Amino acid sequence: MNTDIHRLLDDAFQGIEMTPDAQDLKEEVRANLVARTDELEAAGVAPAEAARRAIAELGDVRALLEETDASPRPSADGYAALQQRHRVRPKPGFVVRAFVWSIAAVAGIAVAILGAAGVWPIPLGAQIGACGFAATALGLLVGDSLSQETTTNHPMPQNRAAGFFLATLLGAFGLGFVALVAFGSMPIWGIVFAALGIIASIILFAFLGATQTNRHKAWTRQIAAAEPPNRFEREPETAARFGIYTAVIWLVTFGVIAVLVFTVGWWWAPVAFLGGIVLMMLVLARMLFAPDKKS
Amino acid sequence: MTQDDAFAADLLRGHTDTIVLGVLRRGDAYGFEIYKAIRDATGGDHEIKEATLYATYRRLEKDGLVESYWGDESQGGRRKYYRITDAGRAVFRGNVAAWTATRRIIDSLLDVKESQQ
Repeated sequence: MNTDIHRLLDDAFQGIEMTPDAQDLKEEVRANLVARTDELEAAGVAPAEAARRAIAELGDVRALLEETDASPRPSADGYAALQQRHRVRPKPGFVVRAFVWSIAAVAGIAVAILGAAGVWPIPLGAQIGACGFAATALGLLVGDSLSQETTTNHPMPQNRAAGFFLATLLGAFGLGFVALVAFGSMPIWGIVFAALGIIASIILFAFLGATQTNRHKAWTRQIAAAEPPNRFEREPETAARFGIYTAVIWLVTFGVIAVLVFTVGWWWAPVAFLGGIVLMMLVLARMLFAPDKKS
Repeated sequence: MTQDDAFAADLLRGHTDTIVLGVLRRGDAYGFEIYKAIRDATGGDHEIKEATLYATYRRLEKDGLVESYWGDESQGGRRKYYRITDAGRAVFRGNVAAWTATRRIIDSLLDVKESQQ
């Protein structure tokens, strides 16, 4: 193995302050130089000469680090001004399509509910069809929206947007089956389809979420980087305290829900749920945006 | 380097960001692989300087068009791999569209001049 390269690399980085950034760059350069010298040696160049040539091809690393240090600061313009400058209007075609998808979804849901509730006597197959129609429309709405360019985000690639379409379709269709079973228009075995759809949708959403990469535009990222840290970032212990409070609030809420369900009836459960959310929001407002006591 | 070479190198350098994104679209790669892909594509005639490439990686990463991660090589230094993000793909598509349109304009303009001579 060629060791000259490491000595020459140290020479090239001589006198440069070893910030984490510079260290990172040095390690990256090292691996690339090793690969390049290996290639040169494989072509029959003597090891010492190969190392020397690889370093020479690299050029000046000093200039590189200076260049990034002097990178343009995020401009002093406010968010509103930048947003105005980078404004992207929705395409007229998309607005029309989104409207059509929404109408179709609402129509499908309405037909399915009317059928399932027995108001409008249509066969079970038609009810399922209406659910599928509504689910497809919802999926198209999601997929179409994601593949649009917005002021802050680049459009999502077609394949990934299609994945979100499918996940929404499966999830919504599954929920449709749940509703049909709940209304009693479908026998209890229908729940199998519901579970299949919902589980597949969860798996797909989890996969898409886990493999998601950045979609924000550069100007949004610069703004975010220039943003002063909020209280939870400055005081992690406050964030931890908030986490514990939240856990307590929800444990109590679920306890109250259980009590309500067994005493006054299940339809009171949402009240406790609402109370839990309200309490959590109040605690969040109190803790994240607390008045600064030190000043 | 002749006048023609300098012209070509200049044109190439002006599109370094898009070229790197194009290489990464085929799959994750580390610096030397990207460098080699570009060098091989140009037949070794015009290469984009490595220092230029490092500057490009840093800029692309800052803008969120690529993400980087370290490989797990045990020998000869760990490699820093780059992966294109969804934003990178979108920008790449936009740049390719702009390039196609511009090339058509330049082609037609140059042809007009040629035929007048």
